[in-house]
Amino acid sequence: MGTRYLRSALYLSAHAIYAQLQMALRPHSQRSKNILIGKGEDWRDKTHFRTANGLAWADLMIWLPLLAVGSIGVLQSQIWGYVLWAASGVVSVYISIVLWFSEREYVYPSCGPLAYYTYFWGFFVYWGIAVVAYALLRLADIPF
Amino acid sequence: MNILNKSIGRFPLGIWIAIIALLSLFLAWFMQAYSLLNWDIAVDIGFQNERFTGDAVERTWAHESWGVAVADMLWAMPLGIVALIGLLRKRSYGFAAGLMELSIGVYFPLVFAFQRWMSNPETVTIAIFLWTIPSLLGIIGLWANREYFEKY
Repeated sequence: MGTRYLRSALYLSAHAIYAQLQMALRPHSQRSKNILIGKGEDWRDKTHFRTANGLAWADLMIWLPLLAVGSIGVLQSQIWGYVLWAASGVVSVYISIVLWFSEREYVYPSCGPLAYYTYFWGFFVYWGIAVVAYALLRLADIPF
Repeated sequence: MNILNKSIGRFPLGIWIAIIALLSLFLAWFMQAYSLLNWDIAVDIGFQNERFTGDAVERTWAHESWGVAVADMLWAMPLGIVALIGLLRKRSYGFAAGLMELSIGVYFPLVFAFQRWMSNPETVTIAIFLWTIPSLLGIIGLWANREYFEKY
């Protein structure tokens, strides 16, 4: 069961990892802008660019290692794997709340509700809440 | 035995470090709560850096900082309260919530550092020393004592 959740989580996370890698390695490329802010779009200003750049590096330094090492633990059914997964989920929800208040007014009108509530913003909240809930249930020894 | 497992009073050293890191984060939540209540005074005191009345760039940063303050109140602070209660009561939920909370304590100052190093190096340095490093040490301290919580 854990493996199935792991596969789903990693598949769904792939988009975020690819986007943040792209932003960290080629911050000024059009491809980075296409992935992060929409096809053909440009950064609103330096503030917008620096916010995206900061998030990309912090995600690669903290969120991704938590997810990657946690996944190894989950594959081995180790408690620490679920704890690390929960930590990555908490970070994901946290930053989603920040983005809801700081970015929604720009992103939502340009990408529309379907894209916004799925892969642009929604996924990070759904994934974060799901992984925290799943990890807590496993930590409480409740089979799920 | 690791030095982090050495008992000092009620808890092992590693757990004391985690508790101190959590209390340090509570200082941040206090500053954020105060900022939400009165942003301009918070800028005067130095809790925040930008005003909503400045130029377009300053307003954008202020808006982003306001979003961070709200996220801290809605998500990070409640989780921190659960972590602190759990750790003080020596419960395993305190260990899990503590690791989650301290992960935020490491994560967000790093976001801030990558965003604002050029414009606010002093604030970034303070954030790293006040929150990132203690949170990282707290995570190490908790992890070294993970078996301590299995008894409870």
